[in-house]
Amino acid sequence: MPASLEFRKVTKTYISSHLGRTRSSRGIVDLEWEVPEGESFGLLGLNGSGKTTTFKLALGLLRPTSGEVRILGRAPADAVAMAEVGFLPELPYFYPFLTPRESLRFYGRLSGLPERELPERIARTLSAVGLSEHGDRRLGEFSKGMVQRVGLAQAVLHDPRLIVLDEPVSGLDPLAIREFRELLGVLRGRGKTLVVSSHSISELEKLCDRVGILKDGRLARVIAQKEWEAAPEGLEGLFVESVR
Amino acid sequence: MRNIAILAWTGWQENLRRRFYLVSLAFAGVFLYMSLILGVLAVEQETRVLFDFGLGFIELMGLAGALYGATTVVLREMETKTVYLVLSRPVGRGEYLVGRFVGLMLSVLCSMALMAAFHLVILKAKGWQGPEPYLACFCGAFLKVLVTASLAMFLAIFSSSVLTAGVISGVIWTLGHFLPEIRFLITHGASRPLLAPLHLLSWVVPDLQLLNLRDRAASLSGPEAGWAWLLCYAALYCAVWLSSAWVLLRRKEF
Repeated sequence: MPASLEFRKVTKTYISSHLGRTRSSRGIVDLEWEVPEGESFGLLGLNGSGKTTTFKLALGLLRPTSGEVRILGRAPADAVAMAEVGFLPELPYFYPFLTPRESLRFYGRLSGLPERELPERIARTLSAVGLSEHGDRRLGEFSKGMVQRVGLAQAVLHDPRLIVLDEPVSGLDPLAIREFRELLGVLRGRGKTLVVSSHSISELEKLCDRVGILKDGRLARVIAQKEWEAAPEGLEGLFVESVR
Repeated sequence: MRNIAILAWTGWQENLRRRFYLVSLAFAGVFLYMSLILGVLAVEQETRVLFDFGLGFIELMGLAGALYGATTVVLREMETKTVYLVLSRPVGRGEYLVGRFVGLMLSVLCSMALMAAFHLVILKAKGWQGPEPYLACFCGAFLKVLVTASLAMFLAIFSSSVLTAGVISGVIWTLGHFLPEIRFLITHGASRPLLAPLHLLSWVVPDLQLLNLRDRAASLSGPEAGWAWLLCYAALYCAVWLSSAWVLLRRKEF
């Protein structure tokens, strides 16, 4: 199966300089990682372990210091690849004076969706994330959870092959988390590749085929569903064992 | 081109809904109306004073809005991470930059046009019939704002500081009105140590006096240099600074 996401010996070092003093800090180190098409992969790690850096490298928002990143077989930020990617950043922020309907129209058009398809797709996506009744309110009036729902909506609106979600359930109430999980389950069933980072181990357990554990910028371990199902303390036990 | 149009349209839509935008328009309306007092003080030159003051005020309001927008639009979107949702789509960084710039300038043009419409109503009510070519003077003022905003956008990305970019742009806008004097100094007697910085200024600073048609309005039927030349000058200046901003933005990491 072709890989949706490939990291070949990728290292990212952040370099900052202030008043002639240069400091470097590690983002990720020698990351070798591959997500086959159609897989649901979770990234787990403590704060600062390199999850967000990994996603930004995949999307071309950061450039690797060394190594190579491929997304859907192409270089990051390649226009053809990016048209097939949906991304939800951690704590997404939208233009506050636009409504969800207008925002989705904006992002849909940027993703190359034809104008005639937009109204129907927007209505369907708003309904899928439970925002049908709020489609014409300004985003500035929305709660954190509702903004997160709009975030997911913009990530799946254009029916991408690869969906990258950074902390998708942060700020959501239990009911919304359940709805999110159901929606992601539907996408999974349709053969989409999901790459999800989360601090919620139980969510990743329910959603993923494999989970990678990042520790200090390195991929410490990749665990398949069968392994954590067989482990006495489940994924949580394996995670604690890996990061200690 | 499609992405630029989409970004410009949304930027324009967003700006028009800002409370600040509407408040500044209301403030401008009140100020333009209050200028009638100045006109009364000018006795026989009432319409001339109203004409000069109004157009000058419209230009300054346009400049303030454009500088604020040009220095904050990209930096704010980088800070709030809104830019992630745009650049993680098939959108080039150049398209993003130009789209945001065009959106901003459309909003500025709209606000200047609304102020100008109100200004014209006041002038007509006071019996103004020319001979000053209002449209030409207005277009010259907008081109001045346009070229200064392109420089401000470059400076904001270069310095990552709204304040620095705003202040330097303001200084360059002021110097731009003295470019003929700077050129005069270069050819007539500036001391040797001053020559290099003056030469640099004469290349970097836009010749805003060329676009300042309001000052010569009474004797003017259009720009002496011709509209084609003025438009080319403004377009070239914007292209140089926006290209430089794009080079910087391409290297930026988010």
